[in-house]
Amino acid sequence: MAKQITFEFEGKKYVLEFTRKSIEIMEKQGFIASDIVEKPVSTLPALFAGAFLAHHRNVKREVIDKIFDKLTNKQELIAKLAEMYNEPIMALIDEPSEDEGNLNWGANW
Amino acid sequence: MGSELVNSAPLPTYTEQFYKHFPFYLSIGMTYDQYWNDDCELVVYYRKANELKNARKNQELWLQGMYIYEALCCVSPVLHAFAKNGTKPHPYRDKPYPISAEEIKEYKEAMEKAKRKKAMAAFMTWASQLDLPDKVEREEVNADVRHD
Repeated sequence: MAKQITFEFEGKKYVLEFTRKSIEIMEKQGFIASDIVEKPVSTLPALFAGAFLAHHRNVKREVIDKIFDKLTNKQELIAKLAEMYNEPIMALIDEPSEDEGNLNWGANW
Repeated sequence: MGSELVNSAPLPTYTEQFYKHFPFYLSIGMTYDQYWNDDCELVVYYRKANELKNARKNQELWLQGMYIYEALCCVSPVLHAFAKNGTKPHPYRDKPYPISAEEIKEYKEAMEKAKRKKAMAAFMTWASQLDLPDKVEREEVNADVRHD
């Protein structure tokens, strides 16, 4: 099951998700994921707007921006959106099977 | 310093990667709509299903090879040029190999039964060939039973 973000705004339920098609549309419109670090102000709302393409394609940009402004805990929201954005590509990559010779790794945070 | 890590070849976009993998998923039965518009995790299950399908296909081909091998073994007595007149091929198995647990159980039971029947037949043949006198006198043994 794909990762989704759900919320309700002005009585309407929204489900945010990225499909391969929505990512293709975003990239055609000039979205570059690596810009998140260099140009976060313009890229983050675009990333958020892109998550509407799968289930709410016809929602106007003004409404999306209004929702984005009202959402709390933005840092976590952005992290979740980035994770969701990567999901369609990560699903295509095979996990190496448990076998000798594979490297395990750890992080300290 | 470290400039070899900067200005390298541009990374392929996600869209390019999606199109690169698209033919494979079409080949294993995914539709255009499933790949592009449905749950993005669906590819994982299609891949696993494809692995199972390949394993099953491999098993089927191996089984087919077994049947062909056995059939060749059955006809082998008549296949060589110097076979004696009247040589007949061995009969081919009358049932397919048991595969399910129930079939295996039934097969083992049938084998046991056939073995017992064969042993009984061998015993009867042996018994019929014994040179026994017509009347066998039996000695009655009277045992003294002591009651303490």
